[in-house]
Amino acid sequence: MKKSVCLLLALALMITMTACVGGTAAGSSASAPSTASAQSASASSAASASAAASSSGSASASASTSASASASDTVYHIGICQLVQHVALDAATKGFKEALIAKLGEDKVVFDEQNAQGDSATCATICNQFVADNDDLILANATPALQAAASATSTIPIIGTSITDYATALGLKDFSGTTGTNVSGTSDLAPLNDQASMLEELFPDAKTVGILFCSAEPNSYYQATVIEGILQGDGLTCKEYTFTDSNDVSSVTTTACAESDVLYIPTDNTAASNTEVIKNIAVPAGKPIICGEEGICSGCGVATLSINYYDIGYAAGEMAYDILVNGADVSTMAIQYAPKVTKEYNADICKELNITVPSDYTAIAAN
Amino acid sequence: MLQYFASLNFLTLVKVLPGDIAQGLIWGILALGVFITYKILDFADLTVDGSFATGGAVTVMLILAGVPTPVALLAAVLAGCLAGLVTALLHTMLGIPGILASILTQIALFSINLNIMGKANQAVSVDQYRLVLSSRFNPQAILSGAVFVVLIIAALYWYFGTEQGCAIRATGCTPSMAKAQGININTMKILALSLSNGLVALSGGLTAQYQGFSDINMGRGAIVIGLAAVIIGDVLFSAILKKRQNFAVRLCFVVIGSILYYIVIGIVLWLKMPTNDMKLFTAIIVAIFLAVPYLKERSRSSFTRAAKNGGKQNA
Amino acid sequence: MLDLNNVCKAFNVGTVNEKCALSSVDLHLEDGDFVTVIGSNGAGKSTLLNAVAGTWPVDSGSILIDGQNVTGLPDYQRASLLGRVFQDPMIGTAANMMIEENLALAARRGKRRGLRWQITPAEREQFHERLKELGLGLEDRMSVKVGLLSGGQRQALTLLMATLRRPKLLLLDEHTAALDPTTAAKVLELSDRVIAENKLTALMVTHNMKDAIRHGNRLIMMNDGKIILDISGEEKKQLTKADLLQKFAEVSGNTLENDRVLLS
Repeated sequence: MKKSVCLLLALALMITMTACVGGTAAGSSASAPSTASAQSASASSAASASAAASSSGSASASASTSASASASDTVYHIGICQLVQHVALDAATKGFKEALIAKLGEDKVVFDEQNAQGDSATCATICNQFVADNDDLILANATPALQAAASATSTIPIIGTSITDYATALGLKDFSGTTGTNVSGTSDLAPLNDQASMLEELFPDAKTVGILFCSAEPNSYYQATVIEGILQGDGLTCKEYTFTDSNDVSSVTTTACAESDVLYIPTDNTAASNTEVIKNIAVPAGKPIICGEEGICSGCGVATLSINYYDIGYAAGEMAYDILVNGADVSTMAIQYAPKVTKEYNADICKELNITVPSDYTAIAAN
Repeated sequence: MLQYFASLNFLTLVKVLPGDIAQGLIWGILALGVFITYKILDFADLTVDGSFATGGAVTVMLILAGVPTPVALLAAVLAGCLAGLVTALLHTMLGIPGILASILTQIALFSINLNIMGKANQAVSVDQYRLVLSSRFNPQAILSGAVFVVLIIAALYWYFGTEQGCAIRATGCTPSMAKAQGININTMKILALSLSNGLVALSGGLTAQYQGFSDINMGRGAIVIGLAAVIIGDVLFSAILKKRQNFAVRLCFVVIGSILYYIVIGIVLWLKMPTNDMKLFTAIIVAIFLAVPYLKERSRSSFTRAAKNGGKQNA
Repeated sequence: MLDLNNVCKAFNVGTVNEKCALSSVDLHLEDGDFVTVIGSNGAGKSTLLNAVAGTWPVDSGSILIDGQNVTGLPDYQRASLLGRVFQDPMIGTAANMMIEENLALAARRGKRRGLRWQITPAEREQFHERLKELGLGLEDRMSVKVGLLSGGQRQALTLLMATLRRPKLLLLDEHTAALDPTTAAKVLELSDRVIAENKLTALMVTHNMKDAIRHGNRLIMMNDGKIILDISGEEKKQLTKADLLQKFAEVSGNTLENDRVLLS
């Protein structure tokens, strides 16, 4: 028995070690723990199994952030909980990390970056980990991550990003911009009335608008409801077309194209992963799509009022710096919105659909 | 490499255990529900993915409407029973094969859950409402979870020792014999499926409170976790307690299987694996768990050993 | 005790495999009749038993057990009147459950199953006694899971379960076919004893001509879904295998060409 078990464990360890080495070589986040622990490893002389000795080193580093140690010696531990692998969310995380590294210096901040693989229950497990690690701050990227973090701790500051509406995410009534709890952050909401105006500006003859989104995404639902109200107020007929997941995107899109003049897609994660499918149906049908963000627009849309996820991630990073170093009180920090919005258009699709855009639009750079 | 091992803090692992144990206990209730259908009734019930979210949805919406939490949980259990009833009726009344009937219910529940919640995600904050448990306070969550688990195991142990419970067991084991003894196997299936999904919905309601929100997709993959817990529990049970086959202990091991599964996830997270590979490593570690008793048995009696012994005698 | 009037059953109607398994079968069993049913494959023996047991509904005709019309009742609703032993030893008992639990289930056949505990100490005593009568040593192993028993032991147990609550009619469907000769003989002897002691009415299907002649007070031979021979009383006692074969040839116009039946 011993032989086979040992063999299996060795195999598992080999796989994990190879993966780690690969991860360490690739990611910048992993280099931070290596430098931080190099200092403590040099202090203690033992070999690989001396976790206890090194734990005292790093534990004191994280625990005494506000206490005796001077600010220049403190290494901040930040937990990042991202809901799913996705271009926009990845950009926000990248912005956040780069903001903190720029402001604090690479060796003063350690990121524990975790991905819930789209499983909202895993967010709770990940946030438990951060609380147990006694992290200085948690970045919650997407709504379920924010909710899990808010549930797991009321003391560790939580900065959210890529969340459209904090009031619905946290179930707050009478929301005026600050949550009053340990939560703040940046929102990815682009001004919806400006988006509605853009739609009416480009397609003044359109009568019916089809709003396409994933029924499982609360952010999309929120944007759809609001923009529907605005467009209907302007005399357009709106109808919602929802798909449950990637599997029924094509059938729902086909129906939407058949029944509408113009389509609108909010900042929907599932749509963002399926732009090719949507484009292959909408463009032959001759239906233009106004999108909620640049990623979707470059895949299947005509124009967008774009916010930049990297920018809001960066802004979140700056908020985090404020809290960690300047001691700002997170409960009084108002939710920040995208600093700039740009009118953008997709040159290729516009040409295929014979649409000319006004001169104040910027073409989306081809990747 | 050395730096990697040095960066791992064992104390953190110890501190993260309460959260894992709490989650394991709550999902253990789901595992008990899966145990009833999978092991006792011998029925592959995929309704679980849907009824778990139904439990969460009903609980959260009722709590937000001001209903006391215990009542909300009770309502969630009834909703789950209803879901199980639908699956059973599709199977017994309309003759749809069991696994397909459960898939149909699961698909239908997606829309029903959306209608219950009104949207895809609904928050329930422990700051605003009185919840039974929450990830904010893990030790209390473990206590509440443990109380639920103990009560449920006691109730199940009693129920499956009654005449009705035995009839259900017979139905799952040998339907022809059950029919010959005058048991209406359709009624038994309805009872078992309702009971199972009621437990699953309860687990969903508790999970929604624990994580602070109910999400339309929170049940996705629940059947896999339930089955993993049941099988881990079963393997450990037969490995550790070979002779004494007490039903209550078996149920305890199902919950232990769930706790172990969540501890494994906790370990994988603690090992700071590249995040994309988290599920791969979870699977590897669970596989090792399951392989150890089998290999232990193999070491005692296997063909290679027999060949070795046989060879010695010849020489 | 048992009345079959003009019972017909056909399978796979309208397809190439259509088979009329029972065609206008009339059968009347008195109280206490022990009838053996014999015939070649496809003759309709098991179909007859299944029709009586209620495994599926018959196409036409009526079935009465002790005067009660059961034609419209499914199997589990007829179960209170019947005791059944199957050909496959595995499906007559629940392998995952203990011997005493199986017996407890049988003891409640036909009764409403509520939330009382499955087995009382008094019942345990009773089961112990009944198991002792079987003479197989099972009374000392009442907490053993049935799956660990041999085929013969399981059939004996099934027989006991079928007669625990005195059934109006006992159905034995080739119940020794899957057992070795010694065990088969033992189980048959047990069947005889149980039927005699309880004065049961029984219907036993067998492919073994010798057994069919030796056991029971009446013999029925089936062919092509019809009952072609019905011999009872003195005539049956004097019967030999050769007689049977000759009678078969006379009635059906064919010779019986089934090795299994001929050579057993």
